[in-house]
Amino acid sequence: MSECIVITSGKGGVGKTTTTANLGVALARGGAKVAVLDADIGLRNLDVILGLENRIVYDLVHVIEGECRLKQALIRDKRADTLYLLPAAQTRDKNAVTPAQMRELITQMKAEFDFVLIDCPAGIEQGFKNAIAGADRAIIVTTPEVSAIRDADRIIGMVEAAELPEPELIINRVRPRMVASGDMMNKEDILEILAIPLLGIVPDHEDVIVTANKGMPAAFDDESIVGEAYRRIGRRIKGEKDVPEMVFNHDTGFWATLKRWMGLAPSREVAG
Amino acid sequence: MREILKRLFGGDTRPSKDDAKQRLKFLLIHDQVDLTPGQLEQMKAEIMEVISRYVEVEDDHGTEFKLAREDGHVALVSSIPVRRVVERQAS
Ligand SMILES: Nc1ncnc2c1ncn2[C@@H]1O[C@H](COP(=O)(O)OP(=O)(O)OP(=O)(O)O)[C@@H](O)[C@H]1O
Ligand SMILES: [Mg+2]
Repeated sequence: MSECIVITSGKGGVGKTTTTANLGVALARGGAKVAVLDADIGLRNLDVILGLENRIVYDLVHVIEGECRLKQALIRDKRADTLYLLPAAQTRDKNAVTPAQMRELITQMKAEFDFVLIDCPAGIEQGFKNAIAGADRAIIVTTPEVSAIRDADRIIGMVEAAELPEPELIINRVRPRMVASGDMMNKEDILEILAIPLLGIVPDHEDVIVTANKGMPAAFDDESIVGEAYRRIGRRIKGEKDVPEMVFNHDTGFWATLKRWMGLAPSREVAG
Repeated sequence: MREILKRLFGGDTRPSKDDAKQRLKFLLIHDQVDLTPGQLEQMKAEIMEVISRYVEVEDDHGTEFKLAREDGHVALVSSIPVRRVVERQAS
């Protein structure tokens, strides 16, 4: 059975594109046939994060307007074999596409793939409506910040209003040291407020920047902690139960150790 | 001794995530009913004006007037201590 999942957030810059690319890689490496679709028309980025920008000939708008066939526009990622990208148009705007056209496109894609992942643009306007139109399921990405969580709450309401099932949450850019010192909300704090199931947490990590520089998502790298976080989230998406939580260590410096030893600071691990 | 150490290491300052959480809860409730804290203040002032025509209100001491989330629904919760009934004016 194939499934279309939209990755959305409300607030911009919280990691939707990073998440879509990494989950695409993780699911494809796990054996699934996956298409990632960039719905951020006018501001395409997923191609760059995946390192496929030089291979674009046709895009999503070309397919929708009938200028090419779906197969001609899909770019196969040679590093993962079963991963394909459908890029967004760069010189058009979000109104070039309607929700009905998106639904039709997704139906066509679902016939070919196990998973279709949609990278949603920021905001709650036309681009968002297009991106959720054909989705069976939604993943909300947030960071542990007041503004991002507020917007996530709004989006959760809109996803439910669109009659999609209850969305699931990914908390991105978690800093274990700040969580331990009480300067960043932890997953329990966030889940208490948003009250939706958690798929996993991703640490704030330089791997994300380095891999973006190279166009090689962290989920390709077996040594990367960010890659591992996304691979486990991928397994949970496929419905695998009891995927162990990641444990993120932080500061083991002298003062932190002393504080912990005296019982003045909470444990030095964050799991998710 | 422990207290001094605690202060030295900043252990007794309120963690900023508690501020974040409190502000968020407040924001989400107001977002849900689409009523800003400023509008709530204005509503409170108007209601207080009406109430004070009937009873004398303990000015602001212990006055509570807020939105609260109770199993998914938002409720307007208020507690307004009054001192004594004002002599009613027939008008
Ligand atoms: N876990 C992380 N650790 C470090 N940096 C991160 C992490 N996740 C995202 N970033 C950085 O944050 C920035 C925004 O990420 P990304 O483009 O994935 O967000 P987005 O939600 O797709 O943004 P937009 O709303 O503009 O589409 C990027 O520069 C990325 O490198
Ligand atoms: Mg993006």
